[in-house]
Amino acid sequence: MTIGLAHYLTVAAILFTIGVFGIFVNRKNIIVILMSIELILLAVNINLVAFSAYLHDITGQIFAMFVLTVAAAEAAVGLAILVTFFRNRGDIEVDDASVMKG
Amino acid sequence: MTAFLLQYLPIVIFLGVAVAIGLVFMVGALVVAPSAPDAEKLSAYECGFPAFEDSRMKFDVRFYLVSILFIIFDLEVAFLFPWAVTLMKMPHGAQIFAFTSMMVFLADLTLGYVYVWKKGALEWE
Amino acid sequence: MIQALAFYVMAAVTVLAALAVVGARNPVHSVLFLITAFFSAAGLFVLLGAEFLAMLLVVVYVGAVAVLFLFVVMMLDIDFAKLKAGFAQYLPIGGLVGGILATEMILVALAVGREGAAAKNALPDANAGGASNIEAIGQVLYTDYSYFFEAAGLILLVAMIGAIVLTLRHKPHVKRQDIGAQVARTPKKGMEVVQIKPGSGVEL
Repeated sequence: MTIGLAHYLTVAAILFTIGVFGIFVNRKNIIVILMSIELILLAVNINLVAFSAYLHDITGQIFAMFVLTVAAAEAAVGLAILVTFFRNRGDIEVDDASVMKG
Repeated sequence: MTAFLLQYLPIVIFLGVAVAIGLVFMVGALVVAPSAPDAEKLSAYECGFPAFEDSRMKFDVRFYLVSILFIIFDLEVAFLFPWAVTLMKMPHGAQIFAFTSMMVFLADLTLGYVYVWKKGALEWE
Repeated sequence: MIQALAFYVMAAVTVLAALAVVGARNPVHSVLFLITAFFSAAGLFVLLGAEFLAMLLVVVYVGAVAVLFLFVVMMLDIDFAKLKAGFAQYLPIGGLVGGILATEMILVALAVGREGAAAKNALPDANAGGASNIEAIGQVLYTDYSYFFEAAGLILLVAMIGAIVLTLRHKPHVKRQDIGAQVARTPKKGMEVVQIKPGSGVEL
């Protein structure tokens, strides 16, 4: 039994789905939503690296690095927004944040 | 492929030993230790008193700023590793180009660093 | 054989940890399970021969991003039980959408794995030709992909500035040390000799 490309793609697909599912069920908890987004990006990375390995092309790994960079920047800025929101409201109810007001 | 993966065998063995030892201590404590739970034994005794408030307290936001800056510079260093390994093995023209592009990258982040410094985000007031 | 076993173990740990991230009652536990998921995904990367990315995943995600999440979870004291409300309410629709999505994606994955362009290839020996994974990345990252590389630098710059603009608030009335002013101070600036006439006060 050898492990082929399909195995890695399946793991990535399941991870991606769990991330989407997490966004659905934790709609009130924005911290868990951000973590679900990290899971989705991890699934993307697994896809990129698996294709990179099986196509014998390093490009996929380069782009996985850029995805990693974007994910870290997104976490940093997203959590910064969250901290500011918490400071203004004293809570992180995302439902209250539906109105954009300066 | 296997020759490459064999290099990682020590890590696998290490992880295995670590997990085994951790499990032995946890399971051993469950099996060997005497356990007769009782509500009175767990309650505060004479001079003790129940906690006034939640043990969790708010951190200062400065910890968060420091850890954000850590992430950014962590990634900067991550981009430096392949550069450091390959720069001297490149052909001459590509070498100069790679050097320049890394210097531009570093200049970007130095700009950010100067901004952080001027804003006083690294100071603890 | 061991390779297949390692794959199944790490894939199972990744998926179970991801499920625990989504389902855990306490966000601190969520973060810890996120660390587990990243760690075993790094193991998968090693199996694919992407050593450098595996290292990056451990260093950047486990070392920095997860710690950032942990800080934020602990920094804000929030009533987490309230946030968990609605979990059961959205469970059926989430499960439905997730199930459909997973089925579709796994079907595509199986088809690509059987008949796609990459399906017939075997994994290459990662150190073939004497160049390790990190060298293969370095050979192209700074030359062929230099625009992307600079864009990554700009993204990091924007993230840094954005985070500082959003979160940094200076408390008013806090005296701060100004080392430049301290060092530049001379006796002339530091003291003043005032001639006082007898009988009159001093105006400063």
